Amino acid sequence: MKILSPLDYTDDIGQLSDAGAGEFFCGLLNEEWYQKYPVISINRRPAGKGHFRNFEELKVSVDEAHNFGAKVYFTVNEHYYVNAQYEMLKKHIDSAIGSGVDAFILSDYGLMAWLRENGYAVAIHISTGGTVFNWRSAKFYCDEFGAESITFPRHLELGELKTIVEKMPDVDTSVFVLNSRCINVDGYCTFQHGLAGKQVFPMFRNACMLPYSVDVFFNKEETEVISSELKERILERQKVWEKVHVDDHPCGACGMYELREIGIKSLKIVGRGNPLERKIKDITFLKRLISVLDSDVSKAEFRNRSRRLYTETYDRPCREHMCYFPSVMERNE
Amino acid sequence: MDQVLYISKLSGLKYFQNDFTRIYFGQEFCERLLPKIDDLERMVAFSEEKDVPLTFVTPYVTDSGLAKLENTICFFAEKMTGAEVVFNDWGVYQFMEENHLDVKPVLGRLLNKQKRGPRIMNIIDQVPKETRDYYTGASLDVQAAAGFLKKKGILRVEFDNLLQGLDMSGLDKVIKRSLYMPYLFISTTRFCLTANCDAENKGIGVVPCHKECEKYTFNLVNPVMKVPLIRKGNTIFAVNENIPELVSRGEVDRIVIQPEIPL
Repeated sequence: MKILSPLDYTDDIGQLSDAGAGEFFCGLLNEEWYQKYPVISINRRPAGKGHFRNFEELKVSVDEAHNFGAKVYFTVNEHYYVNAQYEMLKKHIDSAIGSGVDAFILSDYGLMAWLRENGYAVAIHISTGGTVFNWRSAKFYCDEFGAESITFPRHLELGELKTIVEKMPDVDTSVFVLNSRCINVDGYCTFQHGLAGKQVFPMFRNACMLPYSVDVFFNKEETEVISSELKERILERQKVWEKVHVDDHPCGACGMYELREIGIKSLKIVGRGNPLERKIKDITFLKRLISVLDSDVSKAEFRNRSRRLYTETYDRPCREHMCYFPSVMERNE
Repeated sequence: MDQVLYISKLSGLKYFQNDFTRIYFGQEFCERLLPKIDDLERMVAFSEEKDVPLTFVTPYVTDSGLAKLENTICFFAEKMTGAEVVFNDWGVYQFMEENHLDVKPVLGRLLNKQKRGPRIMNIIDQVPKETRDYYTGASLDVQAAAGFLKKKGILRVEFDNLLQGLDMSGLDKVIKRSLYMPYLFISTTRFCLTANCDAENKGIGVVPCHKECEKYTFNLVNPVMKVPLIRKGNTIFAVNENIPELVSRGEVDRIVIQPEIPL
């Protein structure tokens, strides 16, 4: 399994590669786009950190990554684009091709159709926004647009991933294992985050992280009255919505044993815009666990060692509500 | 103008009146709530008895859900030749196409990507025109997108009644449009926070459920959201009861009325 790392700066490539990154993904936001669409990104990341600044810089980075034997995948993965954006999109895509990127990470079927209709023979990777929950949707993207790789939604369990990979063995696959485990399905979530700067925090913050006043009602068919005790118990978990991103350190490393058995090609780390030190820490953590897997340990031993290493690395215990594969945590192995 | 009654349970038939010109039946959001074939059979019988066309609505699905859904869709296609199936998962479309089912595929609102979060209403009058146009637009105005749908025989697309409004002026004229009212979906999850909500041991993730969504609904209020959010089952909704002008201009030919949240 390769480690698919976020990339924001050319100067980071050597250290990230040395730590164990085998592939990179990145994006770019330019001034022209920002002026017209200040709150709508071109690639699911708000303006600011997490983007290359220009295509010259991107080209240097791609060349440098290739020197390290790593491919670079370029995100143009908003869930949809409208016609008025296509003139800029075309320039953006042409420039990225000129920079030598190895593939485009996409969500919008319209953009995929446009690329193929206009003769772009670029490699297409399906973003998690493409919502591949079953093998037939994987086949749809492969058959219709020649997709070569798929990043799965965060909401598939290990057995479900296995089924898809078994049915579609020729397509590359990647799975998120670190950071930003959104509770909502990315590709079916229509909230817009980052609608203002941090100084207007309620507009800046992710909609699902805002503090809500939550109340519960019986549906109208019910005739009972909810007791205060029951109400308290029912409302308890609803606050998870606000807390699931709370430290942005979710982890699915325990599941790597199965992910390798299943045949997942890449372990994806969320984190465009994260500091270099954090990226290196994340990559090093996963790289050490791949080494553990290479030493032919049992599943139980791998679980123990991954949990120990997580605690050593991040100075916190495993937490079910921050686990990418909670079913793994629940098992006594 | 088609006026459609959209229900997700047989009990919703109590809302049926003779001025409805079509019925939508099924489930968009949760594979655990897929209708049983028996229920669909009763809907087919009702549709035939009342001489009102029936559209089958389907959710996003894992392979397990897809296996169940395949049987149900085949049953529907056999019973109601040439009828509509709303799909919200490209895998469901791929199944229907590969098996040459005699149905009319309709692109569901989950796959008609648009921004729906109510916070947009705080800034919609302050952003550049291009941004405003994006929020009221859809990828269907891209010729390649519309062309792809037409090539695949998808000639109807479902729209939510967005709080910020809809601009359909640039959309392909061949592809027909439906407008859902009054509930618009905003976000959905498999990590359902309603499942097991009244139990002691709840868990987080894809947890077993006892269809608690049939019992409870949650309201979520934050001042920055211009309207309250409603959590029903695994999905967040909002309400927009305003009838947009594009209805009187004939830019949609079908209103899909949800007397209850379709979950």
